[in-house]
Amino acid sequence: MSRLLVRAGWRYFRARPWQLGLSLLGVALGVAVVIAVELANQSAARAFTLSSQALTGEATHQVHAGPSGLSVDWYVELRREHGLRDLAPVVEGTVESPLAPGRSLRLLGVDPLAEGGMRPALDALRGGDGLGGLLADPSAIWLLAEDLDRLGLGVGDSLPIEVHGEERQLSIAGALTPYRALDREGLRDVLIMDIAAAQELLGRGDRLDRVDLRVDDAGALSGIQSLLPADAQLLPADQRQATLQDMTSAFRINLTAFSLLALLVGAFLIYNTMSFSVVQRRTLLGQLRAIGSTRRDILRLVLTEAALIGFAGTVIGLLLGIALAQVMLDLVSRTINDLYFVLSVRSVSVSPVMLGTALLLGPVVSMLAAAVPAVEATRIPPRAVLSASEAEGVTRARMPRQQAAGLCLLAASGLVLLLPTSGLMPAFLALFLLILGAALLVPTLIALLMRPLAIVCGVVFGLPGRMAARGVRAGLSRTGIAAAALTVAVSAIIGVGAMVDSFRSTFGDWLERTLQSDLYVSVPGDRHLEPELAAELRQLDEVAQSTSALETRVADGDQRYQLRVFDLEASVERAFGVLQQGSDELDGWASGDGVLVTEPFANRHGLSPDQRLKLKTPEGERAFPVLAVVQDYGSSEGAVIMARSLYERLWDDGRIGSVGLRRAEGVSAKSLEAAVRATVGDRQAVRLRSGETLRELSLQVFDRTFTITHVLRLLATLVAVVGILSALTALALERAREHAVLRAVGLTPAQLWRLVTLQNGLIGLTAGLLALPLGVAMSAILTQVINQRAFGWSLSLHVAPGLLLEAVLLALAAGLLAGLYPAWRASRQSPAVALREEAL
Amino acid sequence: MTRHGRLLGLLLLTVLTMIACDQPVQQAETTGESPLGLLSGEEDLDGYARVTGPRDVDFPADHGAHPAYRHEWWYVTGNLHAEDGRRFGYQLTFFRFNLAPGMEQRPAALATNQVWMAHLALTDADGARFLHEERLARGAAGLAGAQVEPFRVWLEDWRLQGGSGEDPTPFQLRAATDDFGLSLALGAEKPLVLQGDRGYSQKGDDPGNASFYYSWTRLATRGEIRLDGEALAVTGDSWMDREWGTSTLTEEQQGWDWFSIQLDDGRDIMFYHLRLADGGIEPRSKGLLVEADGSYRLLDLDAVELQALRHWDSPEGNARYPVAWRMRIPGEQLELQLEALLDDQELRNGFRYWEGAIDVRGEVAGQAVQGHGYAELTGYVTSD
Repeated sequence: MSRLLVRAGWRYFRARPWQLGLSLLGVALGVAVVIAVELANQSAARAFTLSSQALTGEATHQVHAGPSGLSVDWYVELRREHGLRDLAPVVEGTVESPLAPGRSLRLLGVDPLAEGGMRPALDALRGGDGLGGLLADPSAIWLLAEDLDRLGLGVGDSLPIEVHGEERQLSIAGALTPYRALDREGLRDVLIMDIAAAQELLGRGDRLDRVDLRVDDAGALSGIQSLLPADAQLLPADQRQATLQDMTSAFRINLTAFSLLALLVGAFLIYNTMSFSVVQRRTLLGQLRAIGSTRRDILRLVLTEAALIGFAGTVIGLLLGIALAQVMLDLVSRTINDLYFVLSVRSVSVSPVMLGTALLLGPVVSMLAAAVPAVEATRIPPRAVLSASEAEGVTRARMPRQQAAGLCLLAASGLVLLLPTSGLMPAFLALFLLILGAALLVPTLIALLMRPLAIVCGVVFGLPGRMAARGVRAGLSRTGIAAAALTVAVSAIIGVGAMVDSFRSTFGDWLERTLQSDLYVSVPGDRHLEPELAAELRQLDEVAQSTSALETRVADGDQRYQLRVFDLEASVERAFGVLQQGSDELDGWASGDGVLVTEPFANRHGLSPDQRLKLKTPEGERAFPVLAVVQDYGSSEGAVIMARSLYERLWDDGRIGSVGLRRAEGVSAKSLEAAVRATVGDRQAVRLRSGETLRELSLQVFDRTFTITHVLRLLATLVAVVGILSALTALALERAREHAVLRAVGLTPAQLWRLVTLQNGLIGLTAGLLALPLGVAMSAILTQVINQRAFGWSLSLHVAPGLLLEAVLLALAAGLLAGLYPAWRASRQSPAVALREEAL
Repeated sequence: MTRHGRLLGLLLLTVLTMIACDQPVQQAETTGESPLGLLSGEEDLDGYARVTGPRDVDFPADHGAHPAYRHEWWYVTGNLHAEDGRRFGYQLTFFRFNLAPGMEQRPAALATNQVWMAHLALTDADGARFLHEERLARGAAGLAGAQVEPFRVWLEDWRLQGGSGEDPTPFQLRAATDDFGLSLALGAEKPLVLQGDRGYSQKGDDPGNASFYYSWTRLATRGEIRLDGEALAVTGDSWMDREWGTSTLTEEQQGWDWFSIQLDDGRDIMFYHLRLADGGIEPRSKGLLVEADGSYRLLDLDAVELQALRHWDSPEGNARYPVAWRMRIPGEQLELQLEALLDDQELRNGFRYWEGAIDVRGEVAGQAVQGHGYAELTGYVTSD
């Protein structure tokens, strides 16, 4: 490429710092969002792996308790009667502390004397004089020295915590300073306790949550297998970790896809900038060709410019992204905590590989986006002195091709959706095809819309109105892409917004159906109600109808399922939303003829009614007919729902998690609560919550979970607004001469201002209107396909008119805002000066 | 009597410093002081029961645990012969420690302030190897403990058990590691003897600086050793010490050389030197001689001349142990040569000490006499 070309390119952009700056910002924001989300995802995944590894330690296998739990006696027998040595019992739970607001702290109860190097970081527990205190003091904890520093506490201080709704003071007996980096990160926000103290604090009685093992030969393994309680499970230590990772993968893919949406908008901006620059430089490029530059030179010039803008934008984007990642990380880990498991991530880990990829990806995406304008530029004949109007002609001539391509992409999107797969990737592919297809159609549709709008504007605003609408049509070569970018961004607002709304309203309906009782009695935490007390409460005169519930875990092969045990007085149909029913009567559920499974469970395990589900019970493995698939938004993992009668027949377990009570007629909420309190007395510390409170709490958690979605949506909008700002500003500045002519022929500054503003408003408005169908289509794909595939939840589509109105207004506002400065400038400039400048 | 007081202190140290070797940095950071400092006199013994003077024995209850005292053990050592003539020595010790006196009553079965430790060792004289293993467990939920009716003391699957009543003998002993195992029956050939003053074994001027101490000095032993995948029938003699107390030693006391000897004329001897930092011997060092008929008498420090003849350097470094001695008891007309069955009988856990089988030969009033026994040498590790 000759120096002349380089200089020509440089001069062009230097003369238009606004345009250059805004497109850089657009790219930078797009890249920043992708980077931030990716960093947050990776950091969360890494934190999860580290914490699992630190907590699993050297264990090769784990025995997980079934519903009947692992009794301490069973564990002691393994050691005493069977001489098994490499066993470490574990009790785990979570607590909150006012000193660490918004985070859950993991509590790990271990026997320091049984660890035997299982978790090398915990060897320190046996050293020093701390062992006695740790064993004998039921409130003693150890934690990372780093965590102590962060909390501003030291050994000997106490840490206030809340567990099971009760406030407790734990005393800090020691600080861990592991020498492995893995442990220093993996044990963050973990409180280490003696196992007995953990049992007492978490209300485990004499049960263990799991026993970690180190076994190296198959013989020993099968020996242990034969000693397992019938409903317990022996799993490789990394299995559960993998299962948990798996569960969050759908969530992480979703985030990545949303972030790519922002990058897509960024790519639109590059395309826009480059097309615009080509159109503007037709004369220059033609002259360059005339003095000897080849087509290849021109192609290279445009692509290099795109790559440089892309690169610079990416570098800025990377820095922005790393800063943004911390915010994202909080949001991501909050969602993971709410939806899946307790995870403590505090620092963003930046991987060089990822940064390298991003640095490469930015310019490549930019060059791809600039490919079409670059090719266009090579077609400019030498010495062409085409006017913009002739360029419009070219653009309009290209429209049929664009329309065809757009329609093809839309069709392809539909076809991909029809593919018989449950994969998440095809669904996202369809979504992106839909967006691209629609974007290609945007200029055509705007042109079409301008005809009626010209008439409307003519009626409302007179001549300037008609002029504005026609001006938009005439300037489509320069405004089309910006409008498309705005359309995509606004449709994302609608799509994602409608998805969250749909989710929330479906969730709310489900809560309404599920939480039918007036008052729920439970014991805070994972403790259980005394069975006699539960029975007495259910028999109160004030109670018309009642339920009892218990949540536990049950095994099947190497899987672990959530098991919900209900004793219902209402019918299955009333208590659950039945989605699919088998051939058996649902009445049989209460008497134990079969089980129900939740929708995510059915999706995850490919189960449908009339099939059988195998579960490990104390009587060995049993197959249960699936009577129905029911609606549930309680967990993405899914659950098996079993009648209390069946559960108690199989498991000798009378534990009750909570009781739901419905008022008898004429009994007030207050008197029911009073009766319950009187019955409970001081027999047990219980928590009373009304159905209403529970619903509210659930919705609060829901909103917190989806904060990240809102944030991503906002960021995409921000990118689009920057885009439209850049495109419209450039366009209006470009028209300085045209405006000067208009001024010269008699338009007042105010009239001109109105004209320009109107034009920009029209672009914003049409982009907004076009975003409506696209947004609704996106939300349909998001709710009906992507959510279903990612989380197993089916949602009923719910598009609020308010949301649509908001979106259109936002697009309009963006258009108007973008037009402010150029309109002001155009109306202020002296026509003579502008004309003279143009003539030079 | 201080043999065990000191051992106790050092063993308690073991519990406290177990991982110190693996992670010196961590150790230093978590305790902030030298582990030895923890036991050097200043420690807080409030809340523990103390042995303050002679009292009547209370059998069978005293065969069980005394959890209110800081430490306690059941200490079995013995010399065994296989049918093919191979010589073995063995040790199985159960230590109990109360790490925090006055723990409140707690609901969890696993809750405890009691920590148990056991050492199992086998000396294979012909194979010239010394095998040993240490185990620890909390004294709760049946993981480790002691009971009286019938007598039983155990740590996981290592156990020593007997009958009910005042005399729990015969004992059955069963313990194994991945490398070797012991399954032995131990029958008392003499009744137990109370050490010191009716079992009250004083080791310092303060009456609370004492322990309660009694021994079975000769237990006829028969059973099986599992080694290298084969089972060897063995017979021999064992010795069992019982002791509990609270106090540790004074700062001047550095370590001790303790001996148990079973002679083929039917007499048994226990004797120890408590070594002082200045090179002298603590005047309270003493011993006991048990006649073939079970009658016994104290041996005070001056009654016994003990002289080390040969030393051995631990391959681990920083320790030089005596491994051969001359012992003279002029009052009994005894002149004995003691020699380690194997030089390397050092237990190298968190805390290092030497506990090993010895061969004994010599003369009683000019008549040749033979025997065997055990020696325990502590306080020889200079620094790590």
